[in-house]
Amino acid sequence: MNSKQKLKKIGITGGKGGTGKSTVSVLFANKLIKEGKKVILCDCDVECPNDYLLLGEKLKKSAGKVYAEFPKLNKKKCSKCGLCARTCRNNAIFQAPGKYPVFIKDLCSACGACQIVCPNKAITPEKEEIGKIYLNNKQRIANNEQNLWLITGLAKSGLEETGPVVAETKKFALNFAKKIKADYILFDTAAGTHCPVISALMGCDFAYAVTEPTPMGAYDLNLILDLCQKLKIPAKVILNQADLGDKKGIQKIVEKFKTKVEKEIPYSRELIDAYSRGKIGEIDFY
Amino acid sequence: MIPKRITIISGKGGVGKSMLASALAMLFAQNKNLPRSTRQNLDSFRIKKVVAVDCDVDAPNLAIWLGEPENWKETKKISVSEKPVIDNSKLTQKEAKQCAEKCRFNALGVEKGMLKLNPFLCEGCGACELFCPKGVIKMRPVKNGEIKIKKTKYNFPLVSGQLFPGETGSGKVVTEIKREAERFKYDLMIIDSAPGTGCPVIASLQDSNFAILVTEPTPSGFSDLKRVLKVVNHFNISWGLVINKWDINPRLSSKIEKWAGRKLLGKISYDKKVFKAIADFKPILETDLKVKKEIKEIFRGLNQLWQDR
Repeated sequence: MNSKQKLKKIGITGGKGGTGKSTVSVLFANKLIKEGKKVILCDCDVECPNDYLLLGEKLKKSAGKVYAEFPKLNKKKCSKCGLCARTCRNNAIFQAPGKYPVFIKDLCSACGACQIVCPNKAITPEKEEIGKIYLNNKQRIANNEQNLWLITGLAKSGLEETGPVVAETKKFALNFAKKIKADYILFDTAAGTHCPVISALMGCDFAYAVTEPTPMGAYDLNLILDLCQKLKIPAKVILNQADLGDKKGIQKIVEKFKTKVEKEIPYSRELIDAYSRGKIGEIDFY
Repeated sequence: MIPKRITIISGKGGVGKSMLASALAMLFAQNKNLPRSTRQNLDSFRIKKVVAVDCDVDAPNLAIWLGEPENWKETKKISVSEKPVIDNSKLTQKEAKQCAEKCRFNALGVEKGMLKLNPFLCEGCGACELFCPKGVIKMRPVKNGEIKIKKTKYNFPLVSGQLFPGETGSGKVVTEIKREAERFKYDLMIIDSAPGTGCPVIASLQDSNFAILVTEPTPSGFSDLKRVLKVVNHFNISWGLVINKWDINPRLSSKIEKWAGRKLLGKISYDKKVFKAIADFKPILETDLKVKKEIKEIFRGLNQLWQDR
């Protein structure tokens, strides 16, 4: 291992859902460990993480927890002035005339604005768990050395703002990478182009956008490449199920962003079978 | 009775939400044109007006599944959030640091003594404006999304929308889109949700009377289905399940069928030709694929289900 080499941070994203982000992440990790690299796969799809399933793993004991500070009312201090309810931009504070304010946790993003604005200091922060971080060890041993670690973020179900869970999972993964002197860290993102995806991509050196040759694939590729450009992350395209559908739409978007299709993965019954049985980890990429 | 608002969700992406949503919208809208003999016993013949709503504001694709991505009748720019504008000249370094510490989303930092915003992390909550001891942080609205409306070839309106890449507030765009859709007179609203379980999905599900969950027989599909079901149950919404691509793993499919029991609405087979059809902008209902028959079967089943209640 060359310890002088800098850790490479790669985002694996795509815009559209179900194009094969997790599959590509696992296949890519496999390729890297065969080259003798130490790899951390960090599943940042905290609403629906799947990498552990693809690797045939289970999420058992959590290695870390993610907290947010939700508001708690001290009725003794509250003057029912209504400022907190008027301030909350998520409409998460309801106050009937002459009554105490009620905090609706389902709508609360834990931003803390109400605590700042309360003139009586009647609102205090209360820590609550919003997610867990899992570390799966003992994977993929090559040359008598452990080469692959999986780190998974999992948001509490029903949580609205999942970006902070992604951010904490990444922080955990980056610290762990330092500890084990990893060569690569792959951030597998959720579908879409917003909060949780942005949190996952931020700080990456490079990104792969995984897509499929359909008009939907092309439309969403346009959005995700736009996002990567805004975040100043160079991105290349991986075209999954490349021989089905129509590549022209994809080509147009690729030219628009002056990038290229790095790899085409042809339709493969074998791959689909392996995926549907949770055995992707056994397949070779190249 | 037919529920007024149906939301189609899945947890996992790419399992067939938009395909199913587009086909069901077309079937319900066409229904009134069917001869009486075919529509007998179907409660849905009372459905006269359908409105289709694409609530996947991160990656809106329902228009493509309806065969026509362009030709929007109306596009409106909207603002769903505000971002702080900072006048650094009046802030001391210490104050800048205090402001940055107040941001729960790590969107504020101090660089060379100046308070700096990372717009990609900002949630637009306004805590910094409220806190700033000098009052030099001001929240200003940003135009960060759009709503698009059109009349489809199939005689019902489609309301779609988008949050621009890199912006915050997808849940709020969803709420705006649904509000816009409500301006149409409708008997049935069909809502296509984003994947995942977070804010846009929750906003799509809110006020729904029925949820159609779509899954595929893969460990990921099943796991994500159970995750999103927790959200559905949280809102106490009744639901049914469709298994798409059931034949890629018949064993797991039958396990999911057993798990679903009477909630199962139907199964759709895997067909590579769906790719080709959609690449040619051909809606599923205008093909001769087996998938089309299977979706029609699900449509009939839904009518039956709601008839009996």
